[in-house]
Amino acid sequence: MSNEQRIRAVLFYLSVAVFFTGLPAILSSSLGYKFNPRTLKFAKTGIISLKTQPQGASIYLDGKLLNDKTPATINELLPGSYNLKLELRAHYPWSFQVNVEPRKVVRLEKIILFPKRSNIEQLNQDKVSRFWLDKDNARIYYLNQEGSILYESDFKGEKFKEIGNIPPGFIPFPKELKVSPDKEKMLIFNAHQIAVLYPRPAGDLSYTQPPVLLDFPGQQINNVFWHSDSYHLVLVTDRSIKVTEMQAKSSPVNLVNLNSRISEVSYEANSDTLYFMDSQTGEDGVSYDNIYKLELNKKAVLFNDLIRLRQNAKE
Amino acid sequence: MQKNKKVKRVLEIIPGFLSWGIIILLILLAIFNPVSCAIIIIVFDFYWIIRTVYLTTLLVMAHHKLYRQKDKNWLVECHRLQARGILNNLYHLIIFPVYKEGLDILRPSLRALQECNYPKEKMIVVMAFEERNPGARENSAVLESEFKDKFFRHLSTFHPDGLEAEARTKGANATWAAKKAKDLLQAEGIKDEEVVVSCFDADTCVDKEYFGCLSYHFLTSPKPHQASYQPIPVYNNNIWQAPSFARLVEISSSFCQMIESMRLEKFVTFSSHSMSFKTLVDIGYWPVDMVSDDSVIYWKAFLFYGGNYRVIPLYNTVSMDVAYSSSFLKTIEMQYRQKRRWAWGVENFPFLISGFLNERQIPLLTKIRRSFHLLESHVTWAVWAIILVFIGPLPIILGGAFFNQMAIGYNLPKITGLLFNFTFAASLVWVVLSRIILPPRPKGISWMKNVVMILEWVMVPFIILIIGSLPALDAQTHLALGRYMEFNPTHKTKRVV
Repeated sequence: MSNEQRIRAVLFYLSVAVFFTGLPAILSSSLGYKFNPRTLKFAKTGIISLKTQPQGASIYLDGKLLNDKTPATINELLPGSYNLKLELRAHYPWSFQVNVEPRKVVRLEKIILFPKRSNIEQLNQDKVSRFWLDKDNARIYYLNQEGSILYESDFKGEKFKEIGNIPPGFIPFPKELKVSPDKEKMLIFNAHQIAVLYPRPAGDLSYTQPPVLLDFPGQQINNVFWHSDSYHLVLVTDRSIKVTEMQAKSSPVNLVNLNSRISEVSYEANSDTLYFMDSQTGEDGVSYDNIYKLELNKKAVLFNDLIRLRQNAKE
Repeated sequence: MQKNKKVKRVLEIIPGFLSWGIIILLILLAIFNPVSCAIIIIVFDFYWIIRTVYLTTLLVMAHHKLYRQKDKNWLVECHRLQARGILNNLYHLIIFPVYKEGLDILRPSLRALQECNYPKEKMIVVMAFEERNPGARENSAVLESEFKDKFFRHLSTFHPDGLEAEARTKGANATWAAKKAKDLLQAEGIKDEEVVVSCFDADTCVDKEYFGCLSYHFLTSPKPHQASYQPIPVYNNNIWQAPSFARLVEISSSFCQMIESMRLEKFVTFSSHSMSFKTLVDIGYWPVDMVSDDSVIYWKAFLFYGGNYRVIPLYNTVSMDVAYSSSFLKTIEMQYRQKRRWAWGVENFPFLISGFLNERQIPLLTKIRRSFHLLESHVTWAVWAIILVFIGPLPIILGGAFFNQMAIGYNLPKITGLLFNFTFAASLVWVVLSRIILPPRPKGISWMKNVVMILEWVMVPFIILIIGSLPALDAQTHLALGRYMEFNPTHKTKRVV
């Protein structure tokens, strides 16, 4: 037998030995058994699987600090109840009474360790009275304390800058701010007014266009939506649903007269469809609430026709 | 006779039955008893980890031996044997069975012979063409005009189509050529026992020391006629030009052969190899109706000599072409077909068992051991990748919430992950070794190819998926169903750079 064949034979028998000695250990451990060398018996055990966000938390099991940090697997636990505590610096601790069952795994894999207050940051760099989040464009818009100047920043509070003035005639304070689909305009509205603003582009100190102020005296504006053309506005007042052009002297078209003074509305911007709730009195004289769908997309309604006909959908 | 046929059919069914049985059983277990399935998978995973470490170590050892003998002048070693009274009066008969290979394939093979560090007056070359190939006569004439005077004899033979009891196999062609060569040897007064025959694939380019190495081992072997001589097949002819997928598959094939060369008790001839011409004649030449003639010839000799026949590894390379095609998909298909043809070696199992049943000389234990090795290697080939890649995750997918709450459900993916980490570590060794057996970069190939040839190893899981087990399972299924395969050689082309 050559030297190589001798080495190979040794390797082969070594591999066989490793396989047959390692296999029982791997199999018993995989199945949740632990060999007790004192009693020469296998005991049924359980597993705790821990995953935290953020990672790296210290693990205390029944008050005893373990070597591992999260994410971690605590193997070979005898069945029973355990007090589990996780600690991470500058985060609130997390604790739980875990019941470990034989040959089973307790998966605690969605743990969030919340940071302590030191993580709170001030985002505004001027005194503000209101703010709105624009998730689509990852922006925060702020209104100053007097309700006259609009600012914006990113979600970290960085790039904080003034983007425009509220028109002088606009009565503080606006209910909401909404950015147009083309991202070039935004509207704010209060109970009787809508102001359309043209924010300044980055680095430009002049207004792109002067703001537009639309007045609706005698009506309570509940909500306003941008049409997908970024030119028309859909108004929901306490009496009706209207559509208007974004011009100071435009005549709004009354689409629906509402029976209910407070109507729940939702606008689906992709299809320009308005869903709203209104009450209707039945033949039995009882008032019922119904949900209606009003399509305002270009395929369903031509705005020019709409404006010309001044059609009232419910009439 | 009828009984023999029935026994043969049963034996043909066994490998496919076992492979499919294992796969179906594991799938059923994954559905109905995922815990049992997971236990089997963990055992298999652990076995595979140990096996990977063991085989990679053997590969390193074989590689080391190949590297050590790389520049050895074997002819000088043969001359030194004269001092021990061993004279080298051997003739080398080299048979190239040709199917459709053109001159672009055949010329380099003959040139490699011409450049060998061995006396050409001791070399007889037989170009074994198929009569049915329309270009055979023309190619033969061209090669004869170029190489006729370069060797002791250059013979062209033309194997007739449709001979009785023959299938269209390489073995039938090689046998025809060997019989013609025997006539020539007789006419020249050369004894069979003085001749070593090498049957090479048409694209085989031998190393310049191959015949010196072969002669040395033949002359120093205690029973030289009771052994086959197996070089290490590498696919270096066009390895720099071949696409990554094909290159990786062929490098892996070379590695498998290197590993096998270390496991002498299981070692069987493969592809291009050499043996005593006397033995070839005594055992009745290559089989004329079987596709896997390269391995069946070993088993024929093994049975003929009552089990006293072995394969001696030669740590010297013969280089062949990487099989690839013009498009990626065609290359995959070509590789798949080639591997299925190799896996058709499973036909050796019924051949061997039938032989054992009629043989009294071989000890029963040897019969059981060799049969088991053969069956186990083919069944493992057909199922391993399917178990690791497809069946491995099944208990977790099909086991539901109950299984995933179990400790074993939690541990199974971890152990599978460990297996893949081991395989990854082993593949790093393969990457290094593959760089060492690579021939120098030809002119016109960018140095960036070096980087590509390292990075391409990330494709290994993809390759395992496609041609790990499926060709072998395909071959076994065909054999089990009695749909026999004809020899369909891989069509190889040379790419001019």
